[in-house]
Amino acid sequence: MLKFLNKVGDYAKESVQAAKYIGQGLSVTFDHMRRRPITVQYPYEKLIPSERFRGRIHFEFDKCISCEVCVRVCPINLPVVDWEFNKELKKKQLKHYSIDFGVCIFCANCVEYCPTNCLSVTEEYELATFDRHELNFDSVAMGRLPYKVTDDPMVTPIREFAYLPAGVMDGHDLPKNQKRAGQRPEEIAQASEPKKEESAP
Amino acid sequence: MNPGIDLQQRFIESLTSFGLPSGAAKAIWMPVPMLLMIFGATVGVLVSVWLERKISAAVQQRIGPEFIGPLGILAPVADGIKLVFKEDVVPANADPWLFTLGPAIVVIPVFLSYLIVPFGEDLLVSNVGLGVFLWVALSSIVPIGLLMSGYSSNNKYALLGGLRAAAQSISYEIPLALAVLAIVMMSNSLSTVDIVAKQSGYGILGWNVWRQPVGLLLFWISALAECERIPFDLPEAEEEIVAGYQTEYSGMKFALFYLGSYVNLVLSALLVAVLYFGGWDFPIPLDVVANLLHIDPSNVIFQVVTASLGITMTLLKAYFFVFLAILLRWTVPRVRIDQLLDLGWKFLLPVGLANLLITAGLKLTFPFAFGG
Repeated sequence: MLKFLNKVGDYAKESVQAAKYIGQGLSVTFDHMRRRPITVQYPYEKLIPSERFRGRIHFEFDKCISCEVCVRVCPINLPVVDWEFNKELKKKQLKHYSIDFGVCIFCANCVEYCPTNCLSVTEEYELATFDRHELNFDSVAMGRLPYKVTDDPMVTPIREFAYLPAGVMDGHDLPKNQKRAGQRPEEIAQASEPKKEESAP
Repeated sequence: MNPGIDLQQRFIESLTSFGLPSGAAKAIWMPVPMLLMIFGATVGVLVSVWLERKISAAVQQRIGPEFIGPLGILAPVADGIKLVFKEDVVPANADPWLFTLGPAIVVIPVFLSYLIVPFGEDLLVSNVGLGVFLWVALSSIVPIGLLMSGYSSNNKYALLGGLRAAAQSISYEIPLALAVLAIVMMSNSLSTVDIVAKQSGYGILGWNVWRQPVGLLLFWISALAECERIPFDLPEAEEEIVAGYQTEYSGMKFALFYLGSYVNLVLSALLVAVLYFGGWDFPIPLDVVANLLHIDPSNVIFQVVTASLGITMTLLKAYFFVFLAILLRWTVPRVRIDQLLDLGWKFLLPVGLANLLITAGLKLTFPFAFGG
């Protein structure tokens, strides 16, 4: 009889615990409802690219000395540098420069190594085209500067998470020293460690 | 309690004053509340579909429908229109008759159940003496339709879904009926109007929640299972059996299932409000307020205000539970079929029986509080 009652008691305890967990879950989902949506309504709102954003590469034709460092540091030797040696000036003269952004991985190694800083990264990332060959930018196309998101009257600029004021994206309203559910590894290690008093004799 | 406004009486009286025989006037009146209720139920579904999408979005920190009408309120309408224009496909080797009948059998009983949902003393389609029993009886027709559509689809996933739906509906019907029975025992009536009338008079303190907290829990869990909502959406578990009995359906037939599931959800929420939260009853007894402000309860304006307040209260309470169901959807994971049956037969059924027994005991000991 007592065994049966114990079983009933345990079952009741488990049920209460399950209800408690469901309640905790509900409070978490409910809390999420008042948080800032992470959605960016893209064509109408755009994220302001971060300072070190590596977008489409900008090229200044006149600064280039045709050294081909960019080609050497590129993982796939992508930039096409077409130059000719001018015998009168005794200088390399650049004729054409192009990068195919359909193949580029935007690692910006070329920008990093360019000795004359004629290459730079822009914040442009909208490179969709109907034909992949349109992405093969020549020096003229690469010389264009993108339109800034903050200057576009059609677009509401949105700040990225890292640029939001402190505390906006904080998680659940839990105290700072709140422990996570379950035991931490060091606690498990401590618990499983054989006690010295018992193992000594 | 004041008698409230009797729209039927007024309508028939005004028609007979134009020289119509009272029988004809009654016949003209009859379809009015029915059509109104069907329209209301459909609008209720649109609202809950919109809420489902918006609340789901909010819980997941998204925005949800935004550009289809202000705040996306036309999104469910757009869904409906899309489904209307879709091709109606009957799969090869399917039984075309059962395949077509299935969704109809699922939807019609659910709409019929709105017969007994009261929004006021006289604001319901029909004050059937059987009341909630009618609802319990009608809701057990639904699994037949589900099984039918699952069986006739000529698809193993549909068949599995149909079988699961039948098993689930049958096992949760009983705790649901037991929870309702405890309420009925306290109210001495099956009629929903009487059940609400029994709760009113003391404002929020008189509601059945305080006397039947376990019953509410039972009822809500079983109602979620009846509506096949997450955590009990096994019959249409996408990850396991595609879409269950809905797998082969498209176009208008699928729309019927979709409509049926949401109508059922709203209906269950309405019944929770009626059975446990005093239906149209305002948290503060309105008669007391009227007395304090020295308003005559038979005043026409007062009656119109109470009637509209009653409808608002019923809907507010019901939609609170729709909200809870949606929030639960994103909180709890789906149960396994064995867990589902365990919960139904080994937990809800004994608890329901115990609840019924305790209610009976309390009714005998405290007849003043538990409706002797």
